[in-house]
This record gives sequence, C-alpha cells and structure tokens, in this order.
Amino acid sequence: MSGERNLWSARLAADLRAALAIVMVLAVVPLFVSSPYWLGVLVVSIYFALLALGWNLLAGFTGQFSLAPAAFAMIGAYVTGLLDYHLKAPLWIGIPAAIAGTAALGWLLGRIVLRLKGPYLALTTLSFAEIARVVIGNSYVFTRGDQGLNVPTLMQSRVGYYYLFLGVLALVLVALHRLMRGRAGRFWLAIRDDDIGAESRGINVVRYKTLAFALSCAICGLAGSLYGTFSQLVSPELGLLLQTGLVISMVVIGGMGTLTGPVVGALLVYVSSEWLRAVGNIQLIVFSAAVIVFARFFRAGLWGLATRRR
Amino acid sequence: MTLLRTEGLTKHFGGVAAVDNLALKVEEGEILGLIGPNGSGKTTALNLLSGFLAPDAGRAWLADEEITRLRPPALARRGVLRMFQMTRVFPRITAFDNLVTAGLARGLAEGEAVGRARHLLDELTLSPVQYLDAGQLSGGQRKLLEFGMCFIAPPRLALLDEPFAAVHPVMRDTMARFIRARNAEGHTFVLVSHDMPIVVELCHRAACMNAGRLIAAGPTRDVLRDTAVIEAYLGSGANA
Repeated sequence: MSGERNLWSARLAADLRAALAIVMVLAVVPLFVSSPYWLGVLVVSIYFALLALGWNLLAGFTGQFSLAPAAFAMIGAYVTGLLDYHLKAPLWIGIPAAIAGTAALGWLLGRIVLRLKGPYLALTTLSFAEIARVVIGNSYVFTRGDQGLNVPTLMQSRVGYYYLFLGVLALVLVALHRLMRGRAGRFWLAIRDDDIGAESRGINVVRYKTLAFALSCAICGLAGSLYGTFSQLVSPELGLLLQTGLVISMVVIGGMGTLTGPVVGALLVYVSSEWLRAVGNIQLIVFSAAVIVFARFFRAGLWGLATRRR
Repeated sequence: MTLLRTEGLTKHFGGVAAVDNLALKVEEGEILGLIGPNGSGKTTALNLLSGFLAPDAGRAWLADEEITRLRPPALARRGVLRMFQMTRVFPRITAFDNLVTAGLARGLAEGEAVGRARHLLDELTLSPVQYLDAGQLSGGQRKLLEFGMCFIAPPRLALLDEPFAAVHPVMRDTMARFIRARNAEGHTFVLVSHDMPIVVELCHRAACMNAGRLIAAGPTRDVLRDTAVIEAYLGSGANA
C-alpha cells in the first residue's frame, strides 16, 4: 500500500538512502576537484554537517532547542588540544576523550535544563555556551586564551582528511538511523510531539531527554575535535554564537527532523557562503533572509519540499 | 478485590481545595463513573491518580502497593494508564506509529507492538487512516487512537477523562463498545464523564464529587438519585 511510505521506518529508510547517496556523490568529488582550497571548503562543510546532525538530533528529533552546538564543538576541540598541550596525550586518546567529555557535559546540561522549554531552554543553553567560551578565552595559563591552541594533525594529506570527515559523516548517519529506527528514536519523536503524552504512555522523559542531550553534544564534540586536528588550531571563536546561528540556518534550510536535511543545508550554506565571499561580505544577509523565507513558507526545508507527499 | 484505594487525598491550588480528603475505592473488573459538576475536582483527582500532580496530603494504593508519589512513567509500568480530555497523541507521526510507540513504551517487543497495533486499528475502525499523521485525524479519531494507545498492552487500570466529549455518535458507540468489550475481559476503568446516559449504561458504580469532596458513592442509579448529587448539579432548591 502506498500509504506505508508514510510510516516512520519507511520515511527514515528513504531519508538514509538519500543522505548516503549524497555521501557517495561527495566521495567522487576529489576525482574532479583537486584545488586544496575547495577541498578544504568541503571538509569544513562536512564539519558543519556533523554539527547540524548533532543539533538536529536535539532540536529536530527531540524538540529541545539548544543554542550550544558550536560551544560543544569548541569544547571537544579544546579537550583534544589540551590533552596534547598538557599531557602530550596522543590523538587516539584525545579524540575519544573529546567525545566522552562532551557527552558527559551534555548529560549534565540536559539534567539542568530538563524542565525548561522554549525561550527559557534556549537562553539557558546560550548562557552555558557563552560561559564556556568566556572561561576558555580568559584562562590564558591553561588554554592560552584568545591566542588559541595548537593541535597536532592526524595526517598531512588534505584528500585524506576529506575522506576521514566523509567516513565519519557516513558513520554518524548510519548510527543516527539505527537510533531513530529503534525504541530511543520513537521515544524522542514522542517527546518532541507531546512530552506530557509521552510521559503518560510510560516513556521515561527524563532519561530520554538527557540521552538526547548527551549524544547530540558528543556528535558536536567529535566534529570539533576532528576540526581542531584539521585546522591545527583551536580558539574560542569556534564557539561563537554566530557559528551556532549558521548551524541552525543549515538545518532550517535543509529540513529539520530529517537525516538528509542537515547534510544538504550544511553543504549548500557553507559552499555558497564561500562563493558569496567573492561578491562581498553579504553571506549573513543572504542566509538570514533564506531562513526567514524557509521558516515562513517552507518549514519542512529543502528535503521536505523534495519529499512532499501529494 | 480492591484495585485502587485512596485515603485523605488532598490537593490545594492557592486557597482552593481542588480535591479535599478524597477516599475512593475501585474494585477490580468494574467501571467506576466519576461524576460531578464543572470544577468539582474530577480531573484533578485523575491527575493525582495518574501521577501528574503530587498530593498535598493523603495516600493511594494500587492493590497492595503504595503509589502515592509515583510519576506517570512508573505508574504506566504498573499498568495505570491515562486518557486525557484534550487528546495527547503524537501529531507528526502516523496513527500506526503512535500505537507502535505506545506499545514500545509499555515494554513490548517491536514485532508484538506492530501485531497489536494492526489488531487495534481494525477494532477501532481506524485502519483507513492508519497511514495518516495523527495530527490529520479528526477529534473523534484521535480519541479512538488514544484508546488504542492505552490498550496496546492491557492496563490494570484505565483512567478516562471525558472520552465522549464532542465526539460523533458513531464514534461514541465505537468507544462504548470498546470499553464494554475490554471490561468483559476483566479490565478496570475509572470514567470521568458529564454524559449521564452513558454513565448509566456503562458504569457499575458511580462516585460524585462536588467542591473537591466526595459526596456520594454507590451503584450508579442510586448515586444519580441521591439528594446531595441532584443539589450539586441543580442547586439547593432542586428538590423543592
């Protein structure tokens, strides 16, 4: 029956196929694009796609509007950088530590904001993000403050980095699909749609909201940690609210509550922002206008438009 | 056997006693009608029994287990399920997925939840709309769906808040048939309703609240003939 395509498992399967198709297209890009600059742009686009997927898990699938994804990327990058700077810890320790550290902090933040909704939730996560950024920026002795921190690189090859980021993106997509297909994913959707209804059905809203925070922050922490090794420098600028705004606009334009939307949004917004740079510093105006148009007229985003059920 | 028992259950909002010293007994396998005029405390009583509010005083037991301050998920795990006056389905997933999610929340394996969801969709006449998002269903269809979500795994006690309010007569009959069939299987209900004909038709016993207090309890027809109940609905000159 054609209506079965509307079932959650079918929607999600189609969504994953489309997202992996994009990953496969991206996999052949280095055959045609040899410019280190444009490969770098694509690596950063994939970094943003990871952040967008992390934020989307929380906001799009669970309905928890956080303003801290960039802050968690910054924290992840600093965990890796600081472990190297102070303890000479190798990256095979530094990167998992960034994931674990941001997951733990995300879990804690999730517990703090458990009963908050709407603007109160957004403002609390924003406050957390700003406190983290300011503390890192002002702790010169420990973090080298606004001067930033050098991070060792995983490899010298830009193409190698490109495939590393792409592989991580594919893994995150598959992991998110598995999560969303199972019990946790269905409970997150229920919490997003009606947390009181979810509680009345027997869903442990406290546990699943906190889990969503921890996993979302862990994805952002992983992205930040990898980005730090790619750029070989982390600074508090990684956690600027502007970066979070960019992540949100990517998800809104691509399509919230989907796997493909954040990937499409991140690629489109970041790559076109590089093109727009040539025209002048008008990227923010263009993306802000795009967000207004999508929020007003196309709330399902580009992926929602592409899959609109007739 | 007494399935649910409360003693001295009390809840104040500001200076108002919304539920005042409520002593209620629900026997296993019965349908108890909880009636009373608007503002009498019926919904607050359901909120206390389903864990959405914590009482200021008093205690509640499910069989021999005290459940006074348990939260809704803990009560749901013990089989106390709640249906709301304003339906609380998950609007952005299909009716079918709503049922599967409710089944998983009650601890069913996915295959079992899917099987039961299909059966319930048939029984509740929702099969033609099973692939629509729940937000696209009519108010009556959403109420039927919420029935299904309560019964995807058999509850020990179903607390129904105004299930028949603003529902098309055909769906009302479907709901009444569903309640009767489940009750015949031994399920226990507390039914809050203003619809007296259906209370008479379905409920073995009734308990009437007024201004937060229980003013009468007993066989349904006896309660509806009780002077205090008539006065609560119609005013103190009603028997003049």
